[in-house]
Amino acid sequence: MVRQFEVERFYTREAALLDDRRFEEWLELFSEDTNYFMPIRRTRLAKELDREFTRRGEMAFFDDDKALMRARVDKLRTGRAWAEDPPSRTRRIVTNVDVVDVVDAGTELTVRSNFLLYRTRLDSEEDTWIGSRIDTLRPGGEPGVFRISARTILLEQTVLLARNLSNFF
Amino acid sequence: MAISRDDIDGFISLERGEVDRRIFSDDEIFELEMEQIFGRAWLFLCHESQIPDPGDFFQSVMGRDNVLVVRQHDGGVRAMLNTCPHRGNAVCRAEEGNARSFLCTYHGWSFGIDGTLKGVPGFKNFYGGELDKSEHGLPPVAQVTSYKGFVFGTHDPTAPPLEEYLGTTGRLGLDLLACRGDMEVVPGIQKFVLDCNWKFAVDNLFDWYHPQLTHASAFVPSVRRAMSGRVAAPSADAPLIDMSGVEQQDGSELELATAAISNTAFDNVVVIGEYGHAIGGPTAASRGNEELPPGWRAAAGVADVLGPAGKDVAGHPNIFPTSWITTTMQLSLRIPRTRSITEIWWFSFVPRELPPEFRKLVVRIQNHVFGPAGLLEQEDGENWNQSTLQTRGLASRRTKHHLLMGLGRGKVIKEHGLARIETLTNEHAQLWTYHAWAQWMKGLDWAELRAATTPPDVL
Repeated sequence: MVRQFEVERFYTREAALLDDRRFEEWLELFSEDTNYFMPIRRTRLAKELDREFTRRGEMAFFDDDKALMRARVDKLRTGRAWAEDPPSRTRRIVTNVDVVDVVDAGTELTVRSNFLLYRTRLDSEEDTWIGSRIDTLRPGGEPGVFRISARTILLEQTVLLARNLSNFF
Repeated sequence: MAISRDDIDGFISLERGEVDRRIFSDDEIFELEMEQIFGRAWLFLCHESQIPDPGDFFQSVMGRDNVLVVRQHDGGVRAMLNTCPHRGNAVCRAEEGNARSFLCTYHGWSFGIDGTLKGVPGFKNFYGGELDKSEHGLPPVAQVTSYKGFVFGTHDPTAPPLEEYLGTTGRLGLDLLACRGDMEVVPGIQKFVLDCNWKFAVDNLFDWYHPQLTHASAFVPSVRRAMSGRVAAPSADAPLIDMSGVEQQDGSELELATAAISNTAFDNVVVIGEYGHAIGGPTAASRGNEELPPGWRAAAGVADVLGPAGKDVAGHPNIFPTSWITTTMQLSLRIPRTRSITEIWWFSFVPRELPPEFRKLVVRIQNHVFGPAGLLEQEDGENWNQSTLQTRGLASRRTKHHLLMGLGRGKVIKEHGLARIETLTNEHAQLWTYHAWAQWMKGLDWAELRAATTPPDVL
């Protein structure tokens, strides 16, 4: 129960960092060997659902290591990332947090959660993404501290109904 | 109000380098594009490597027609409209997959993978056995042909054969990708929707004037290094763009990072061809070792295929109207959905023989340069959307777009079957595309269209 609370609070704070555009602090939540992956989803027949999502090593929307994530933040801070200037306004809601697996005597947790990310920009642009995330969390030294050593983001959309993914999930 | 040929001639001026903004915002023009361009041109459908086995299918788009491209039992490829000839329902709703037959889930008509009508529920008791099945198969696409594995289709049975349509310019454009190895598509086609007119997304591929500013945030060294896994040190003598008088909103001078766009010199070569195909961008020499895979041009036989005039071409080809081939070994389709909605599809290629480590690097680059999360392409949609929006205002649309860079100074050298212009950064290929667009829109016959899009001596 304590662990459930700690994980939920971790996600609440993570979402706030992104909504507040505190990207550098957000990056610190990821381990140096992390992988940040959003596969492409495809409309497939029910009998071929095992090939609904692309796999690592195939094409994806995100398949980042820490260096690439850092580069995305650097890019946002150049003052010339025009797709985010004026910045988009985002609000994240993270729910259905479920610690589905505890491995290696608690040194790693597998956690599933659902999210709703609402993004609006300029006067009328709106995007809404609903999806799920599967994270591998490594508990840190103190209670409530985790490092994300892998994140898989599964969107419900196949054709992405947005002009870009200039934000984080 | 019907659009006349005179109206269309008035939209584009090759002499003055002008484009009328109405062509980006009128519904009537969009409808005419669907008929005159997307109803006649050869359009890229998919690559054969996506459908290796019998029954493998990929669902593609021709104008507003959904098309099933299917591998046959005899190894051939067929394409047919994804619509039941009975009441029109789609017979397949998956984007890709494998099928032994296609079943219309409305009434149960079923079709072989070659499109022939196999079974009709109640054929004997409801139809009295009187339905001629041979006349009610899935409507085939009028012509389907592959060029080196790239499958194209046209709705026009009178269109010239694909190779003739491509001509030397279009074939060179595809060869610039096909010659890099035994190509296969990496699984996963990135698809996303942009709120812009499709022509902005097309003409921009020739625009080597915008990257240093539009994509300035992606060309800082740390981002470049992470994006490509390698970055050449900016060479001391890399040319800088004259920025005098260019101020930022706070009044400060706009400084761009040294050699903001790679180390590429401004030496460009533009190739223009019949039917509107074009290639625009840096010469191979000025791109240096930036190409993937490195040294591919030196491989046996490549120089012969590219030809003496083609071997130094390293810019972006567009197979008219909407197939862009990138230097990252990708093919991007700009699919018009409405006058102001365009869907972008990214097909990514790797040579099968590439060592696994290098394949990984290539896929990494393909994943992170273009596409919606691409460190480059994120910014493009913003430009095209705003350009599209500003074609609607009553007063704004009276201001014509201009493509004046290098206008009238592009001497067209016709050698080795290609028409090329050796120049610096320019707007020739965009202008050529709009000129060809106008000729297509006039509804000329194929011979007239070819004549009207034969490269001039000066552009």
